[in-house]
Amino acid sequence: MVITILVAGIATGAIYAMIGISYNLMYATSKVVSFTPGQLGMIGAVFGAWFIGVLGFPLWIGFLAAMGVSIVFGYLTERVTVRPVLKSIEQHLYVLTTLAAAMMIQQVVAIWWGTDPRPFPHLFGLGTGLASEKYWLPVVACFVVFIALEWFYRKTLWGAAFIAVAEDVEAARALGIPDVRVRVLSYCLAAFVGALAGFWGGQLLLAFFALGATLTFYGFVPIALGGLGSNRGALIGGFFLGILQQTANYFVGGVFVGVVTFVVFITLLVLVPGGLYGTAIARRV
Amino acid sequence: MATGLEAIASTELPVVAGRRSRAVLGVAAAVLAAMLLPFTVNHYWMQIGTLAFVYWVLIAGLDLIVGYAGALAVGFVGLLTIGAYTASILCEKAGWPAFAALLAAGTAGALFGFLIGLPSLRLKSFYFAMTTLGFSTIVTQVALGWESLTGGGIGLPGPMFPAPFDSPVGFYYLAFGMALIATYLLRNIAFSNFGRGLVAVRDAEVAAEAVGVPITRLKLMTFTLSGILAGMAGALFAARQTYITPDAFTFDLSVLFFIAVLIGGRGRVVGPMIGTVILTLLPEIAAPLVMWSNFLYAALLLLVVLLVPGGIAEFLERLFGKAVKGGGLEAPVPERLNAVLGEHASPKALTLEGVALHFGGVRALDGVSLTVRPGTVHGLIGPNGSGKTTLLNAASGFYTANAGRIAFGEAALTARSSDERAALGIGRTFQTPRVVGNLSVLENAMLGAYRQFTVHFPAVALGSRRGVKEDAAVRQRAVDALVAVGLRRLAHLRADQLQHTEQRLLEIARCLVMRPSILLLDEPAAGLSHDEIEHLRALIEHIRSLGVAILLVEHHADLVFQVSDEVTVLDVGRVLAHGAPAEVRVNAEVINAYLGT
Amino acid sequence: MPTSAPEWNGALLTAAGLGAGYGAIRVLEQVDITVHAGQVVALVGPNGAGKSTLLKALSGMIPKTAGRVTFAGQDITRLTTQACGRLGLVHVIEGHRVLPSLTVEENLLLAALDQPAAARRTRVDEAYEVFPEIGEKRALRAGTLSGGQQQMLVIAQGIVRHPKLLLLDEPSAGLAPVLIDRVLEVVSGFRTRGTAVFLVEQAVEKALRMADRVYALVHGRIVLDTDAQSARQPGVLERAYLGAAHAAS
Repeated sequence: MVITILVAGIATGAIYAMIGISYNLMYATSKVVSFTPGQLGMIGAVFGAWFIGVLGFPLWIGFLAAMGVSIVFGYLTERVTVRPVLKSIEQHLYVLTTLAAAMMIQQVVAIWWGTDPRPFPHLFGLGTGLASEKYWLPVVACFVVFIALEWFYRKTLWGAAFIAVAEDVEAARALGIPDVRVRVLSYCLAAFVGALAGFWGGQLLLAFFALGATLTFYGFVPIALGGLGSNRGALIGGFFLGILQQTANYFVGGVFVGVVTFVVFITLLVLVPGGLYGTAIARRV
Repeated sequence: MATGLEAIASTELPVVAGRRSRAVLGVAAAVLAAMLLPFTVNHYWMQIGTLAFVYWVLIAGLDLIVGYAGALAVGFVGLLTIGAYTASILCEKAGWPAFAALLAAGTAGALFGFLIGLPSLRLKSFYFAMTTLGFSTIVTQVALGWESLTGGGIGLPGPMFPAPFDSPVGFYYLAFGMALIATYLLRNIAFSNFGRGLVAVRDAEVAAEAVGVPITRLKLMTFTLSGILAGMAGALFAARQTYITPDAFTFDLSVLFFIAVLIGGRGRVVGPMIGTVILTLLPEIAAPLVMWSNFLYAALLLLVVLLVPGGIAEFLERLFGKAVKGGGLEAPVPERLNAVLGEHASPKALTLEGVALHFGGVRALDGVSLTVRPGTVHGLIGPNGSGKTTLLNAASGFYTANAGRIAFGEAALTARSSDERAALGIGRTFQTPRVVGNLSVLENAMLGAYRQFTVHFPAVALGSRRGVKEDAAVRQRAVDALVAVGLRRLAHLRADQLQHTEQRLLEIARCLVMRPSILLLDEPAAGLSHDEIEHLRALIEHIRSLGVAILLVEHHADLVFQVSDEVTVLDVGRVLAHGAPAEVRVNAEVINAYLGT
Repeated sequence: MPTSAPEWNGALLTAAGLGAGYGAIRVLEQVDITVHAGQVVALVGPNGAGKSTLLKALSGMIPKTAGRVTFAGQDITRLTTQACGRLGLVHVIEGHRVLPSLTVEENLLLAALDQPAAARRTRVDEAYEVFPEIGEKRALRAGTLSGGQQQMLVIAQGIVRHPKLLLLDEPSAGLAPVLIDRVLEVVSGFRTRGTAVFLVEQAVEKALRMADRVYALVHGRIVLDTDAQSARQPGVLERAYLGAAHAAS
């Protein structure tokens, strides 16, 4: 049963890690923690199920279409709920605007798709039992995303531009780097990664409108633990959370899994010092 | 006598035409309409009214947390759940009478409200929001899982109130009564120094610390009160539904409560009330799908934040309120300071001995010693980066010194927080004025006396008469201070409508209301015209004559040399020169340091 | 390009009636500045006078509350910093703010982002010729460099962009004296490349020695506008600084 816990834990952990990476991507270039990554994950799952399962598109067309929908929402997140608020002195407003957007996305999908969870189609039809593709597809996707992003940041000039905007947006602006364009692109990329989590994890999660809320919380825990902005932390935190959940599921069962998760989360959040409460404290006075 | 003071206050300040009486009329009309509702509409709509009242009991408390304290408690429904189940379990399983169960629900709410308040002290906005989200999920899951106690997914019956409240009409009036009580508690806190303090903590935490607001205590008390209201709302909710199951308490509902406060307007009472009515009515209007009403509600939040951040309250003000016009600055009347500063406790000296402070590798202060004697003005000058502001921050408790001793009179200050030092009588202003933009100029000035209110939070909530009298006395003191600095005609403007120089004067007025023993002024003359600097000088001299010590950090060399009794010059964190103004002025080293040659 | 800006007198950069601030705080009032092609103009003044604010207003890093700015005949009052950069107005901000987790090489390549890939290489190599010290460290993370080296790097970032006018904010701040001379030597060298320089400097004496003209800014207003020679006369600056306290009312 240890194997079951590990396999299921790492699979769900990979999904959470990808949502965490989505949070990081949005945060890096805007310093905004957005409520939308979880909902974008849900979109990946629901639209993947619709294009491939209901409309019968071929796999890769359906995949691209579902990603396309998510990217549009990612763009809207930046344009409508983040950019107007960045100019304001009241920093907390982004919590409200992104929360409103997340809620709107969730309700629209609930109306259109229905409130019952629907199955996600088999993609390749590979593997059975613990070796089923529903377990290793999300893991593969997660590692591909992680490695691709590392390559992007380290080896390409646009990746360096991303890092520049994340590190010191004023200096980047003075250097001539188009910070607004970089930010828009990072939100689209974040939406893509979030939707990847929902799509490749769809067989595990099901196509369910309420998935968004679940992913919002469980996708945030890895970065709260691992440090906002760190993809490596998201990976570690994600796997830790996934395994913790499966372990709790086995020993405590069903409903109380959430209690265990939350208690661990809040304890670590309060105990872990410094970096967890935002980046370096600016001079207040 | 109190009325005499009020009379003076009200005739001195510009009159805000008609708003007060219109508001009172509006409220009276609403109350009357609510009382007559059961006789004018059918049963169904009366039930909706009951629901609105029950929601309002919770949202009134949430208004204090979200609207006033500014904590993003998105997952507050957990307290509703706790209250509902507490009352239902006690009635159903332990046979308690309904009203006792109601009180127990309030107590359970108080406990968990307090517990939620704890992380709010350390976690920033999004993190705290997520914590409350997790909390409400957990509560629902426990309700689902602990079958023996809660009936699990099947649920259990809600409490049944005794006659005459057992009929729908009777229950309507019970809910209405509770809503009135909730409004009364909310209003009392909101309009008191606690309300002002909460807004200060929300918008300008540095200013709140500088006037001595004990932030932890204030927040926890607020969370506890909100918890009580939420718990009781839960009991009422369970009674109205007559049967509760865990899936009645969704996270969506929690977000809707949160939105009600925000579209109503933060730091307001009537706005969130209207927000609650909209919340309750929207599903009826946007039928058949509850999801459409949730969608619309969320869309409404987005529109409000982007277009009318002040919410319905701001919207109504634009429609109905006449714009509050201020006059300009007047010449100050330093003599009014006598009334403000009153009797003095034994004057104390502020002493710094060998104070050192580093930031990373930088030595901002490198062994500075300095004494500000009571009843004198001590000027502190030096190039930028010399450590002047750092010294002020160390003295007032915003930075902690790494070495050396700071004392005020006999009391060592090293262990004391900034708000404790404010309570000891150390007042300060800031280089960039920290005023609370959303409060009026008068309310900002009144903040100065925060530590001098003696009536406790619970008593104020219940409408203590003594609290009201204290408020009136402080109001008068604040008026005197505003007249003294020349801001009389601007008293009713919002502080964020003031010019920069006017905000600086407001900070000084706020300090004066504090009745400080020492005043630390950080570049008060920056940006002032020649005449304004003259006025400032007259004020400073008068403050000194009343026995208050002043540490004046300034770039305007003329002002410093004219008004100081002694001058210290700082350069790269060390004392470069010290003595009478005439000596320091001609000191060659000082001139070099300034011109950077 | 005809504009509604003040008469173009052939100057490279003109600011007229410039005002700027932060929120309710007004920092600059009625500032007029002119810089001609190939000139080195110094901006001096006591701390807190608004010198950095002036540079930020010129390059569009902060919004202007009043006035107009013209560059090479074009009205740039409303343009973004990036757009100004493309026109040849490059701003090197204060505090030697390199991008610490990127290498020296990446820092320079980023500065050349809007160049085609081949041209980037050439420009970066040019920069290494001017500052061989940082050429040695090209593969190291910029955050590991000393303050002086970082300052050289940000100026190198400016060079890479082949500016017509370089706005330099306190290039010598926090540097050891020998490095100050090195940096200021490079700055005077700009003249021979045809790049004009408008620099804010704390090391007043040194700045005056290499500048053609001087402006003094006190409490947000220009109180001195003269050639460097005259500014070096004894008492001129002191009068400008201290006299302004009475003039600014």
